[in-house]
Amino acid sequence: MSTLISHLALGFSVAFTVPNLGLCFLGCLVGTLIGVLPGIGPIATITMLLPVTFGLPPVGALIMLAGIYYGAQYGGSTTAILVNIPGEVTSVVTTLDGHQMARRGRAGVALGIAALGSFFAGCVATLIIAALAVPLTRVALLFGPAEYAALMTAGLAFAVVLARGSILKSIAMVLLGLLLSTVGNDLETGAERMTFGVASLSDGFDFAVLAMGLFGFAEVMRNLSVEQARDVVHGAIGPLLPDAADLRQSAAPIVRGTLLGAILGILPGNGAVLGPFASYALEKKLARDPSRFGRGAIEGVAGPESANNAGAQTSFIPLLTLGIPPNAVMALMVGAMTIHGIVPGPLVMTRNPSLFWGVIASMWLGNLMLLVINLPLIGVWVRLLKVPYRLLFPAIVIVCCVGIYSVNNSPGDVLLTAFVALFGYAGTRLGFESAPLLLGFVLGRLLEENLRRALAISRGDLTVFVTRPVSAWLLLTGLIVLVVAVLPGIRARREEVFVE
Amino acid sequence: MRKVRVRAPQDLVAGASLVAVSLFAIWATAPLAGGRLGAPGPGFVPRVLAVLLGASGAGLCLLSLTRAGEPLGRWPLRGPLLIGLAVVAFALTIRVPGLVVAGPLAILVAGAASPETRWRELAIFSVAVTACCIGLFRTLLHLPIPVLVLPGWFTL
Repeated sequence: MSTLISHLALGFSVAFTVPNLGLCFLGCLVGTLIGVLPGIGPIATITMLLPVTFGLPPVGALIMLAGIYYGAQYGGSTTAILVNIPGEVTSVVTTLDGHQMARRGRAGVALGIAALGSFFAGCVATLIIAALAVPLTRVALLFGPAEYAALMTAGLAFAVVLARGSILKSIAMVLLGLLLSTVGNDLETGAERMTFGVASLSDGFDFAVLAMGLFGFAEVMRNLSVEQARDVVHGAIGPLLPDAADLRQSAAPIVRGTLLGAILGILPGNGAVLGPFASYALEKKLARDPSRFGRGAIEGVAGPESANNAGAQTSFIPLLTLGIPPNAVMALMVGAMTIHGIVPGPLVMTRNPSLFWGVIASMWLGNLMLLVINLPLIGVWVRLLKVPYRLLFPAIVIVCCVGIYSVNNSPGDVLLTAFVALFGYAGTRLGFESAPLLLGFVLGRLLEENLRRALAISRGDLTVFVTRPVSAWLLLTGLIVLVVAVLPGIRARREEVFVE
Repeated sequence: MRKVRVRAPQDLVAGASLVAVSLFAIWATAPLAGGRLGAPGPGFVPRVLAVLLGASGAGLCLLSLTRAGEPLGRWPLRGPLLIGLAVVAFALTIRVPGLVVAGPLAILVAGAASPETRWRELAIFSVAVTACCIGLFRTLLHLPIPVLVLPGWFTL
């Protein structure tokens, strides 16, 4: 306990410096902005801002990027409540009851409870990260290559289950992502793999190109091809602060949502997306009168909003302790860290304690700032939402172009991104999701490295993955998750959750 | 013999494209050494992945004959192609003559992707956004983006 406090004290002493406070605020502000704007998410934004962070000290860079990520969760809910369009994937469920509350003249209360719930979740998640970091790092040191490979496989299994649509298609996307990650020089022998003599491919397919193509431009293409009914709430937003009755109703859902989101967020394989869905389903089940849900039940906003924020923050745990990025945003963090010569993993905490605890402490400060950014400034965001999409999307296109060009100062990257985007668009039309592909790509190199190392150590004995207990348990978990998802009964329920 | 009916055209096309990608990858990794299980070579993992990918593609094709699913649906092309074209135009003009031209050009081409576009409004908007980009990325963030480059005459 006392070490926890001394760790946090170290963290706050780092985070409380003027430049770091400024970067944290900037990150939260940008995060809220892109969260509010539908059609551009944290993946595209962080890719775009990566070159900017090259000139910053590593702590500052990570503090800012982290702020963008959890700030986007706040901003996403604003759009969900006011426009009935999820600003981010994680705020899909918030559209159900949040927008209904807004239509009943309680937009302010919905926004207020979302912000308060998120703030509570952010505080708890910060403490959870701080408390779990040390023990998990110890566990990580016991991990050999077989365990790492098994953990990543289990994570990919989760990613498959959490993706929408056909399981088989998701598996195919994970495999395609893994396959793409093998392009480039082989790590052990240096042999060129599938580069076709293109020099820029020898370092591998650029992650920024893939992320920006699939999540920046392809997103714009998708949005243009569907008619979007924008339903901006007109009239007054109403009081922002929930009254005593609202608070009483929301307190328990906020606590439950926070815990659920925090636990699911730790799972490798983008568990953060699952949190809000699970929380919504739970609240509906626990409610005395489930029919209120979908008609503006405040619990349906409080729970999921807390869950998505908690999940966004605890998803830092696998990255900081095991060195495994659980989702695409965390993979970009890996990029930001390696540029500064920091290898993500269990050693970060001992070698760079001020970075580790500084980033964690900044999350708490960031949540405080987000409360200020979101509630008093709500008028600014509402005005922003009134910018028509016909102007918004060309602006997104040009900013993404400048961003992807700046990553390597290469027009070739921009060209390649255009093609990736067209492939991404075609994939969507065929019912393929981009998220599992990106996660497969992110984990591919690490997975291959550990797989080959484990096989080399065991001299080609495949049973090593099931005779080592930790590895066996991890693989079994992944397998159970997959089997359960394929079972007809559960599958129907899963679809139900996503349809809702 | 009963006539085979495709019950999920979208899945059939999806599966077939996966098989195509898989075959391509198997062909592309053919020169790489596979190694043994105890000493996996550079071609080992990619080839395993390609085969698994092909298998899932084949599975999708088979399922599309037995299980009803989505139709292939509409493929609106105007939007995606124009967005792609806008990005390509940006890539070709960013080095020479620079963002001053590449910015408005990309915005105007992208704007054609939406039927709601009002041209006069977009023209003014494109200049304003480009100015903002120069201010933000070049002046504020010091990124080395070519603003205006006229070879042998002028560079900014």
